[in-house]
Amino acid sequence: MPTAFDIAPLMVDLNLLGVALLVLVLDLGMPHGRKRMLGLTTSILLFALFIGTFWMDASGSAFSGAYVGSAWTLMLKRITLIAGALASLGAIDHVDRHFPHRQGEFYLLLLFTMLGMTILPGARDLILFVVCFELMGIPLSIMASYAKADDRVGVHKHAAEAGLKLYLVSAASTAITLFGLSLVYGLTGSTKLAVIANAHLSPLLGMGMLVTLAGLAFKVGVVPFHMWIPDTYQGAPTPFVAFLSVAPKATGFAALAAVVLVAFRNDAAQLGPVLVLLIVASVVIGSVMALPQKDVKRLLGYSGIAQVGYMMMGLAAGGEYGTSMLLFYVAGYVVTNMGAFFVLEAVAPNRTGIVISDLNGLSKRSPWLALALLMFLLSLAGIPFVVGFWAKLYVFMAVYQAHQAWLVFFGALMAMVSLWYYLQVARAAYMVEPSPEQAGVKPKVAWTLQTAIALCLLAVVGMGAYPRPFLDGATAAARAFMLTK
Amino acid sequence: MNDHLLSIIVGAPFLAGVLLLLVDDKSRLLVRLLSLTGGLVPLLGAIEVARTWDMAKGGLQRPEKYPLVPSLGIELSFAVDGWSVSLLLLTGIIISTGVMASWTLKERSKEFFILLLVLVSGVFGVFVSQDLFVFFLFYEIAVLPMYLLIGIWGSRGKVPARGPFAFVWKRFDIGGREYAAMKLTLMLLVGSAAILIVIFAMYFEAGGKTFDLGVLGHAHYPRAMQLWAFPLLWLGFGSLAGVFPFHTWSPDGHAAAPTAVSMLHAGVLMKLGAFGVIRIGMLMLPEGAGYWAPYVGGVAVVNVLYGALSAMNQKDLKYVIAYSSVSHMGVVMLGAATMTVDGWNGAIYQMFAHGMMTGLFFALVGLVYERAHSRQIPTMGGFAKPMPGVAAFFVLAGLSSLGLPGLAGFVAEFLVFVGAWQSQHWWWALPGILGAWVTAVYVLRAAKNIFFGEGPPAQYHDLHDARRTEWAALWVLGACLIVFGSYPKLILDFIHVATNQYLPRIAEAASQLALKQ
Repeated sequence: MPTAFDIAPLMVDLNLLGVALLVLVLDLGMPHGRKRMLGLTTSILLFALFIGTFWMDASGSAFSGAYVGSAWTLMLKRITLIAGALASLGAIDHVDRHFPHRQGEFYLLLLFTMLGMTILPGARDLILFVVCFELMGIPLSIMASYAKADDRVGVHKHAAEAGLKLYLVSAASTAITLFGLSLVYGLTGSTKLAVIANAHLSPLLGMGMLVTLAGLAFKVGVVPFHMWIPDTYQGAPTPFVAFLSVAPKATGFAALAAVVLVAFRNDAAQLGPVLVLLIVASVVIGSVMALPQKDVKRLLGYSGIAQVGYMMMGLAAGGEYGTSMLLFYVAGYVVTNMGAFFVLEAVAPNRTGIVISDLNGLSKRSPWLALALLMFLLSLAGIPFVVGFWAKLYVFMAVYQAHQAWLVFFGALMAMVSLWYYLQVARAAYMVEPSPEQAGVKPKVAWTLQTAIALCLLAVVGMGAYPRPFLDGATAAARAFMLTK
Repeated sequence: MNDHLLSIIVGAPFLAGVLLLLVDDKSRLLVRLLSLTGGLVPLLGAIEVARTWDMAKGGLQRPEKYPLVPSLGIELSFAVDGWSVSLLLLTGIIISTGVMASWTLKERSKEFFILLLVLVSGVFGVFVSQDLFVFFLFYEIAVLPMYLLIGIWGSRGKVPARGPFAFVWKRFDIGGREYAAMKLTLMLLVGSAAILIVIFAMYFEAGGKTFDLGVLGHAHYPRAMQLWAFPLLWLGFGSLAGVFPFHTWSPDGHAAAPTAVSMLHAGVLMKLGAFGVIRIGMLMLPEGAGYWAPYVGGVAVVNVLYGALSAMNQKDLKYVIAYSSVSHMGVVMLGAATMTVDGWNGAIYQMFAHGMMTGLFFALVGLVYERAHSRQIPTMGGFAKPMPGVAAFFVLAGLSSLGLPGLAGFVAEFLVFVGAWQSQHWWWALPGILGAWVTAVYVLRAAKNIFFGEGPPAQYHDLHDARRTEWAALWVLGACLIVFGSYPKLILDFIHVATNQYLPRIAEAASQLALKQ
């Protein structure tokens, strides 16, 4: 019997809160020269917590059913934890160099946004939903503008733009979501997703549904709610962008899954065309806009918009199959995209904007970095034997089974387009001769960042060579999601 | 009896590539010896497979299975039929000689050999896979390293920008190696997208339990699905086989690629495409194949003639050979489209013979280019004096190419034309034979212009004959052309057993189609 005080399902999140409080206390007591250790502590604790989740049973409901834990939420928590652990590991050097006096806040903000992300997938009540969204969103905006007060990183106005755009969009999307939810609440009289699901679909409820969806689409960055992405990516500190580009998407999709497949599960027929429209628009606009980009972070931003389109395919396919493929895609995307941004950070550690020609001749200057970058790009493009291939393949299978064969062809064709711009980056690293100034410069990479890149590479290749355990995990999680809805 | 020989054949080049990662870049000899081992082990393995292959039993032999993704029914499943045996041998010979021919490569040779070996693993994998999905995976592995191989180690062809669209040519650097690499990759991957859909369609139509080729091959696909699926496969695999009008990546790609890559690409990779059309397209979707065969054959005829005529008009030596590949791959597709025993035997034999021949051609062109630093035929002449060995082998390859009896090319083309004559479209044989005649014109003319007559002109002062390992490559390929040309039974027996097993079912399905119409 669920009670208001049963908090066992939130074990992981409570531990995360504990880590955050510990970092807060350590920050107060640590002398200024040693703040670097904070990042390392955060990262190690997050890795430990990640490993610990394999011995935790976080299923069951809490807060009178407002929160429902299952294998699904646990899997999403793991994704968030690993993203956070990698992000803090990769950020240590950058943060220490550029914001030596604001290190504690950085990791603290990271941990709090993660807390919002870990709770959100289990939220089955609109109020908890919105609270988690805010907890997740506000620290992100602060972190996005972190480079603003730093003299060496360069363009201040870009940093301010990065933070402000993210904040405004985030606030607007929250307002829109709240408006939609208030319509839904007003018509159904309940904030519980399970009750909403059984409500009769009226035109006004349909509008509430659509507006809610639009608000959530802002969070994951689906076209036409994508404008903030390239600017924010360009101006924010690179290791943070690595986190920003993946973790909120994972959580955003968990929220979308909850809304689309739980709250509005009986209205799939009405919602289907809208989703397909969003998919097509995202993939096309993301891919086409990425083509002329010269700034690699902007390019990856636009490519991320296209990737979100592919993830939406899993959502549109729906059911256990589609959901599990969505989850697998997200997991693969997390390690791949983070790895790509880490390589950028390693190549140009003192700047926020990185153009393609900065990578010229990387294969001669640093063969391993170049190889890692190549693998990440191939994975993003969906080339066999790296994880991105299986990810794309699985969502294609899901949409094929959902009788949308044309989406497969469309998706595969657009993947070719994406290959073109990913190869533009690989080309700079492998085929373009470095300029005389670049030729002698071997990137000096801190061991923490090296470890982060190596871990991402290992995951991308490992999941690509042997996807089975991850796929089984995703399937089990999706099954749990379907059972606990 | 299971000694994992097929896994060794597929895995050895890949393993050699991984080991190469650990070798120091400067120990040049070790890099080359390791690469050569990665080519020779599969060759020896292929010879052993051929030696122990039970001709009386036929069918699929030496099965090996390892689960890959059981929840979707994907398993690493290997076995060889008679066709695969001959194509394994071909691949083994080409990669070994390809490594020998690139012995003197200077720039970043370690990475080059790594990519080359990974690519060859993919090729071997395609020929032995008995799981549709794994087949596709290996197919992609074989296609993708090509981008880097051409983009980094390729050379530039002289393609003058002219006409109203000259600015486009300049913008995209047409004729450059990066243009060629990108064009090839994108065209082939669009083909892959088409293949992927058909793979899904087959998988789900057959129950969505397994990708096993045997099971999928005996599933009954609805006629409507076969009719749309086959052309997609034809387009998908056909783009790699150089089917008109999706061949345009081939001349650019082959001309820009370094020697060993051109050898492998024209010698083996294009065969993957044709193999895919026959093995997956025709065997799995017989009704679709029966319906579309006239179109396949018609386009193949265009390929033969168009390729030959284009080759005749080229001034760049590599483009000549590249267009001749397009023409000869047309012969393969023509043989496949006849749906007769002789036609199919000829198609597979042409893959084998053309692989050897074009491998030899590209090895020779590589040697000439390396010494002359030019590929412009009109500026050459009298090269036979400084390089008599190269000249002799060029003529040998040329004679096989135009179908001189006693050489491997003749056997293949003869069988295909006999098959065409027996098929419902006897007239296919005529343009085919005409194509062979045009081939004689351009090959002999090229040989005359380059090697004979006055010369060599003064700017070519650095010419000399083949050396050490290069000789080995030339002799092996040349000997193969003669041996398999004068005693085709060595390979043809394998091919015939497989053809006899597959064809009746396909022919029956195709004839049922004729009854319905």
